[in-house]
Amino acid sequence: MIRIEQDPWAQMVEHARAVYPNECCGAMLGTSSNGTKLVTSAMRLENAHQGSQAARYELRAEDLLKADAEARKRKLDVIGIYHSHPDCDAYFSETDLKNSCPWYSFVVLSIKQGEFDHANSWLPDADQTSAAKEELEYGE
Amino acid sequence: MAKLLIPTPLRQYAGNHDSLEVDAATVGEALEKLTSQHGDLKRHLYNDEGKLRSFINVYVDDEDIRYLQKDKTPIASGAVISIVPSIAGGAAPGGSYGG
Repeated sequence: MIRIEQDPWAQMVEHARAVYPNECCGAMLGTSSNGTKLVTSAMRLENAHQGSQAARYELRAEDLLKADAEARKRKLDVIGIYHSHPDCDAYFSETDLKNSCPWYSFVVLSIKQGEFDHANSWLPDADQTSAAKEELEYGE
Repeated sequence: MAKLLIPTPLRQYAGNHDSLEVDAATVGEALEKLTSQHGDLKRHLYNDEGKLRSFINVYVDDEDIRYLQKDKTPIASGAVISIVPSIAGGAAPGGSYGG
């Protein structure tokens, strides 16, 4: 299960709304214990995909390194990655799956007509062949 | 000695260390020493054919070893080796998985 505190959640939603109709992406920092992940901080990262970003995102490894360094500095961990799906549901697409890694929770935010609609969290496997839905709580 | 940073999700397979000191001349040797000391890490870093999993990038300091000498990249004392996944995606056409 993954729980995202109100402040990082608000930042993630705002990020997704701000770049609409393009996709946003970022890292979620926090702690993990007894099977529960708690996200206490969200870190915006640049969508480095070359070409239209309306339905694609790409993280630079260098930016992930920076996120990891920031997490270590703050005694936190990189818990997951978030990105938005403008004007479609928060499914885990084939593109998401084939470019994922099994180490993180992947939170997808559905943004419809520029406003937040719903979100899901996914846990892809190591072979990038399937992803399990993870219980997600956010805000409040 | 070089410092090898362990990504959070893999620490449970590396004695819960967030970094380890390794004495190795090349990146390949460092990873080999790491996985021989912590056997459970191997399947998380390598596929069944013994190759690094496709989503894994290795950096020495701030340099991607793919643009250096790959696993033969030499490592100086004090170097920092990072294991970084490559991540991308999006709601691109072509069907969806799950949801």
